[in-house]
Amino acid sequence: MSQSTSSYVSAPRPGETSWIWLVKIITGPLLILVLILHMIVNHFVGSLPTGLMTYNDIVHYYQNPIIPAIEILFLITVVTHSLIGLRGIILDMNPSRPVLRVVTWFLSLLGVFAVGYGIWLVLTIASKGG
Amino acid sequence: MEQTRNQPSAGKFWSWFFPVGRQVGGWAFALNRLTALGLTLYLFIHLTALGLLAKGPDGYDNFLALTENPVIKLGEWAVVAAVFLHGFNGIRILLTSFGVGVTRQRQLFYGFMVVAVLVILIFTLRMYRVY
Repeated sequence: MSQSTSSYVSAPRPGETSWIWLVKIITGPLLILVLILHMIVNHFVGSLPTGLMTYNDIVHYYQNPIIPAIEILFLITVVTHSLIGLRGIILDMNPSRPVLRVVTWFLSLLGVFAVGYGIWLVLTIASKGG
Repeated sequence: MEQTRNQPSAGKFWSWFFPVGRQVGGWAFALNRLTALGLTLYLFIHLTALGLLAKGPDGYDNFLALTENPVIKLGEWAVVAAVFLHGFNGIRILLTSFGVGVTRQRQLFYGFMVVAVLVILIFTLRMYRVY
């Protein structure tokens, strides 16, 4: 059975443009970097015996402006990666064009809402201190 | 219209979740998408739960006590395991996306999965305070 090499490598799905695929591929390694930081901070820096951060730990931690910036970058990256991935899984059900359009709109709005809500939350937490 | 073998269809969609009898690539694919679905679900639960931070210390610190609940703890363990399986599998996909190791995907997959299992093991021991 012969198969061309291109069918073995990761590539855009039918209905997924190269740009969307590229974003998914680039956000992946970015997520690994931010997740390492996320894990260390949330499991070793906090004052609870388990290393978890209490409310006060988090507010204090957010007073360094680099932290909200990293958290917002993480938020945008993870939401984008997860929703593009979810769309990819839905694409395998071979949706009709109108259904796909609804799916794309729904996931886009969900993404914008999640990022908007997350930024609001990050800024709210940061504003509790000082 | 001629249908090629790689055309997606609703029937094939479900079969991706049950890679029994497939080559290892099929298992890798199923593992990647099952962990993807789980992690996406977790992401939105996580964002919702963190909303408690906006309400002040009482709500959030009481919520943290839940992390000692055995069922929640098992769920957290599953998230950690999914992160490492998805992440290490993802590194393989990233490498092959840029033409690295394309003909050695099976070995890459096994290698990364061994590393993932070891890391998960370390996390398990830490989480359950074995050491």
